[in-house]
Amino acid sequence: MKGKNTMRKLLAAIMAGTMIFSMAACGSTGEDEAAGGDAAAESSTDDAQVSGKADATQKLVLWTMAADMQQFADKYCESHPDVAIEVVVTAPADYPTKVQNALRSGAKDPDIVCAEPQSIQTFIDAGFFEDLDQEPYNAQQYADNFVDYVWAAGQDANGVQRCISYQITPSAIFYRRDIAEAVYGTSDPEAIAEKFATYDAVLQTGKDMKEAGYRVFASTGELGFFAGNEPWIVDGKLNVSQSRLDQMDVAIQLYTEDLTCYVDTWSTTWYQAMNGPIPMVGDDVDMWDQEAVDAAAEGADTTEIFAFGLPSWGVLTLRDNAPDNSGKWGVCQGPTYTFSGGTFLGINPNSEDKELAWDFITFCTTNEETLDWWIETSEGDVVSWIPSIEKHKDDENEYYGGQKLYELFLGLAEHIDYSNVTPMDTECNDLWNAAIGSIQRGEMTKEDAINNFYDQIESTYPDITVER
Amino acid sequence: MASQNTAVSPKPAKTKKKDLNKTGYGYLFVAPFVIVFIVFCIYPVVRTLYLSFTEYPGYGNPIFNGIDNYIRVINDKFFWRDLWNTIKIWGVNIIVQLGLAFLLTIVFSDIKYKLRGLSIFRALFYLPNLIAATSVAFLFQTLLDWKYGTVNQLLGTDINWLGDIHVTPYVVSIIGAWMWFGNSFIMLMAGVQGISKEYYEAAAIDGAGRWKVFTKITLPLLKPILLYVSITSFIGGLQLFDVPFLMCGGTNGNPSGTTQTMVMYLYRFGFENNQVGYAAAIAYTIFIMILIVSIIQLKVLGSSNDGTGKKKGGRHK
Repeated sequence: MKGKNTMRKLLAAIMAGTMIFSMAACGSTGEDEAAGGDAAAESSTDDAQVSGKADATQKLVLWTMAADMQQFADKYCESHPDVAIEVVVTAPADYPTKVQNALRSGAKDPDIVCAEPQSIQTFIDAGFFEDLDQEPYNAQQYADNFVDYVWAAGQDANGVQRCISYQITPSAIFYRRDIAEAVYGTSDPEAIAEKFATYDAVLQTGKDMKEAGYRVFASTGELGFFAGNEPWIVDGKLNVSQSRLDQMDVAIQLYTEDLTCYVDTWSTTWYQAMNGPIPMVGDDVDMWDQEAVDAAAEGADTTEIFAFGLPSWGVLTLRDNAPDNSGKWGVCQGPTYTFSGGTFLGINPNSEDKELAWDFITFCTTNEETLDWWIETSEGDVVSWIPSIEKHKDDENEYYGGQKLYELFLGLAEHIDYSNVTPMDTECNDLWNAAIGSIQRGEMTKEDAINNFYDQIESTYPDITVER
Repeated sequence: MASQNTAVSPKPAKTKKKDLNKTGYGYLFVAPFVIVFIVFCIYPVVRTLYLSFTEYPGYGNPIFNGIDNYIRVINDKFFWRDLWNTIKIWGVNIIVQLGLAFLLTIVFSDIKYKLRGLSIFRALFYLPNLIAATSVAFLFQTLLDWKYGTVNQLLGTDINWLGDIHVTPYVVSIIGAWMWFGNSFIMLMAGVQGISKEYYEAAAIDGAGRWKVFTKITLPLLKPILLYVSITSFIGGLQLFDVPFLMCGGTNGNPSGTTQTMVMYLYRFGFENNQVGYAAAIAYTIFIMILIVSIIQLKVLGSSNDGTGKKKGGRHK
């Protein structure tokens, strides 16, 4: 009898444990959903918002991934009271499919289609964008006033303009001025740019920072924004250039020599690293020695991150995530001239109100009054209309220690060569970064990882020649 | 008996049949379902089959290329690697999932313990299954972060849960098991409750121990349910997508492709690389695999039911 009671108690304890296991996770969900708003939004459905009056006589529908367009729509409707604009913001992962399904069926909505650089060519090839060189648009009249790479990105293979962006997004190094002063005795952007001028210089900076008790980056993933100055595909052949291999080597060394904090890019800790210290594993710890790592983790110290590699929209990312470090940041050139992101606007060929759609697009991209307003409102987003950037190039951004960011970003954007971009870039970059990860974690040798990369490219693009 | 039935067969029924003219109305009544079924089930299936024989980037006109896509699937080593990944992740998942569900079933079905609150526990165990995969993925990503995750901090370890080829696939398996063990538990409990109590009472009278009762009564009679759960789970497992996709770097299946499943591979071509024709061929290859498993399931379950009956008869003897 006693044995039976003991067994019942034991079983009750197991049940309670299992229940807590289930409940704990369920209980956490609410908090996680709140904390992980971005993650949830990325896989969620659409968010539609209508700007303007309900009884407006004209209506535009705009589909986008960037919530910024809602602000532009509000601004447009202020000066156009007879127009209402429905802005539908869709999660990036779902957006291309949504647009393709709608436009392939000949839908009249949306009137305006937004696209990111990686999907522009697909949308152009699919015939989702109106020819903007024809009457009544005559887009070429504006060509000289746009930054070259942005203008080229919106063209089809025949050089016909199909879409236009209001932004430029060159990549740059965002660094902590106070740490630069402490380690190098200067925080001057040109001097710090030298510390990131080549991949070798980045590695040396990583060593300098470690020696001084800091880390150069939170993660090696940020080097991906500065990967290679050459195209992935040249004349139908895969092109693994020396600069790609150099970038791979540096990413591996930064990792294996403990020069970063092993944080995942875009993770919560990565954002925390912008605003203050994060825990680190001690300097002398061999990451491949489990006992040493365990011992170090117990008395984990903290460190601060010197730099983040981000495109120009990082100006806003840092400002929003690191309020405590206002005035401590600087921005300088990285090892290569590249860009990432940007919102391009084009007109659906089936739209019933193309002229109004074009009026809205020019309002967002070429209207200096609008662009002045956007520069002031966004506090740092960089527009693509050269006269507006020129006008603001002496603007000082207090969050970045009074640095003249528009001048810097315009200079970086002018060096970007859009002919380096191919439709296969996203896939090639993803597979290349996966290869780097495999070497970093010790799962593959460099040779095996590169061969596996070749195999993956051959499997994904049978038409591309891979010369090993 | 037969002649009696004929004699009783009522006349008015025949008259009713004529009056109602059921045929015309019948089509009308089933039309909504049939239309929805054709548009959302039949058409996509047929269209996908057609696309699998074409080169199609997702726009423009598909170009017929015969069985090229299928030859490519057969020669694609990453597709077969992903099949193995899928089976490996499912295999560990089903062992843990069924093991846990079985344990709980044994405890709850034991007439000696008479545990109360079955319906409450059943609901609680099922709760993880109701959480959206997005939330589950975010929750575990946070908990299992290598340097900053709660799990490593609590355990005092430094395991790269989501970045180690020897660990991550099994982490995905365990998460799947955690999500689905409640479902299996409900199925097994339903199976146990369907077993006549007379067997247990008879066994108790005969002095059978707990282990004997389990191995000689519960387990054999639960065999069809167990088979059903494991085979349907395998069919679901072959379509595994959401959790590894959300937790392991999208379709890359980090680390080193070890968590890339077949459906992730399909998604990569269909939605990321604009190779819809090839993705359709992958979809049909997976479909054929699932079809084969389903046929095996039908055969095995059929023979299992027959076998149980025979064995039962044997025991009675």
